[in-house]
Amino acid sequence: MMQEIKDKVREFVLDAAQRKGLDSVTDTESLTENGVIDSLAIFRLVSFLEDNFGTRIADEEIVNENFRSVDAIESFVAEKLSKKSPVHRRQ
Amino acid sequence: MAYLLHQLLSKSASKYPNNTAVWARGQSLSYRELDERSNQLAHLLRHRGIQKGDRVGIYFPKAVESVVSMFGVLKAGGVYVPLDPQQPAQRIQYIVDNCAIKALVTTREKLQRLDPAAIGTVKFCVFTDRMNGAGTTAIGAPWEELAGFPTTSAPEGLQSTTLDLAYILYTSGSTGRPKGVMLSHQNALTFVDWCAETFQIQPEDRLSNHAPLHFDLSVFDVYNAIEAGAAVYMVPDDAMLFPASLAKFIAAQSISVWYSVPSALVHLILHGNLKAQNLDRLRVMLFAGEIFPIKYLRQLADLLPQVELYNLYGPTETNVCTYYRVDRAKLASMEKIPIGRACANTEVFAVDDRNQLIQPGQTGELYVRGPSVTCGYWGDAEKTHKMVLPNRFQPNYEEKMYCTGDLVILREDGDYDFVGRRDSQIKSRGYRIELGEIEAALLTHPSVKEVAVVAVPDDEVSNRIKAIVAPHSGSTLTAGHLQQHCAQRVPRYMIPELIEFRESLPKTTTGKLDRVLLASSR
Repeated sequence: MMQEIKDKVREFVLDAAQRKGLDSVTDTESLTENGVIDSLAIFRLVSFLEDNFGTRIADEEIVNENFRSVDAIESFVAEKLSKKSPVHRRQ
Repeated sequence: MAYLLHQLLSKSASKYPNNTAVWARGQSLSYRELDERSNQLAHLLRHRGIQKGDRVGIYFPKAVESVVSMFGVLKAGGVYVPLDPQQPAQRIQYIVDNCAIKALVTTREKLQRLDPAAIGTVKFCVFTDRMNGAGTTAIGAPWEELAGFPTTSAPEGLQSTTLDLAYILYTSGSTGRPKGVMLSHQNALTFVDWCAETFQIQPEDRLSNHAPLHFDLSVFDVYNAIEAGAAVYMVPDDAMLFPASLAKFIAAQSISVWYSVPSALVHLILHGNLKAQNLDRLRVMLFAGEIFPIKYLRQLADLLPQVELYNLYGPTETNVCTYYRVDRAKLASMEKIPIGRACANTEVFAVDDRNQLIQPGQTGELYVRGPSVTCGYWGDAEKTHKMVLPNRFQPNYEEKMYCTGDLVILREDGDYDFVGRRDSQIKSRGYRIELGEIEAALLTHPSVKEVAVVAVPDDEVSNRIKAIVAPHSGSTLTAGHLQQHCAQRVPRYMIPELIEFRESLPKTTTGKLDRVLLASSR
């Protein structure tokens, strides 16, 4: 699942990066500093994550901590999905 | 009354030495500190050979040193040029060369992005990042060097006048190159004085600074805070992007006066969860740069019932020239928000195609006259003569008027409504964009045969940018290639979001691009 999340996030980020004229983006690079995530892209990304992973992202969760890099987005989504899972909750 | 911008600081520093003047990235400076440090910077600049009228670039991410730099340059008799640290190196290099910038206040990291051969006019730099062992050199002075210069009294003997240039703001140019709008101390103070009176800024106020410094909205944030002995709080990077963080910032820093483009406020309304924040300190919100969609303005008015809302209007060439105070009682029945009527010491009027002043109900191009009108464009007398004309409606004495290119309707109540542009300038997220500049950037790609850039109207950001491209036959051009090509030439907000490829573009009978047809097919 983690790999699936990462692949999807990378897919989106790479497309957004190209629109900003960047060839590549590393998983740890700050997406806010390199300009990949701007005020338009952030909400496209939120819709993309909601659609692909069937989760609902609250406005309070759309913050730098959760969206600063590919890795951060991946952990954020994984964390959300794990909370949804009853198996995880029993652990 | 102050007749030079930096006199605002001297006055407030003597009245309120211990008040906070500026806050950014968790750091702040009191009025005494800001005054003393800008004096030291002025001495340093003079010592390094900056003379009256020399241009000094300010090229680093916003920090308390940004405001020190603005005042330091002015106190040295110089003209500051804010350079957006996010713009492509090519565009920055063009600006440096265009107005022959002699010194840069910058960071080592930002300077490394520029090609030394392309910025030959720059004789030295002052670095705002800390030393890390690097000392003073012939071309570079670390910030620590300021300590060696007097904190008192800025250099004397400059014989500055209110008509001297204070700063140059570069804005998008239709021929493919940005153009430098020259603003004098008088131009800026005309606006600052009007704001001080109209919005009654007090020493207790905290003003936000959301706009970049090369954007004229920031003139209000910085100079009206300083005029009043109030504090200017620079919005942190993460709050610029994330509406929930922005709402928290406004509450946590007790911001009382806000000014930004409507797009930022629309995001705040839609995603900021404003109801969860205590925004009692907020008393005035100003917005400018694009049309505020009325449905979102109604929501804002409902969310913040105690806040006075003002729509300000004006191109960089005049700063703000008209204003409209939102009347909540009328908001429900209003279809669009007017740009209102002229600010004090400014006159506006609109002229039809027959060069006659328009009557209520008619449409015409808006003209502006008065002391806020720009001195013109740096190094471009031709463009200046085209846009800043002798005022033929005033035969008794010589003065200039600026033709805005904006079409307006004069309403029965005396307010103006904005209806559109005469040319292909658009607004996106409040940024002023000449579609011609983007077309010129795309045409420099060897595989592009023809191109047209059009605006796709959008409720949240005014317009999205779309390019329709006809490549040379056999080319394997992709949208990604072209976006990367643009990224090296124009600011990020000007890169087309959508790119459509066609074999050829529609033409009119005279062989020109058929923009009417292109616009209708978008």
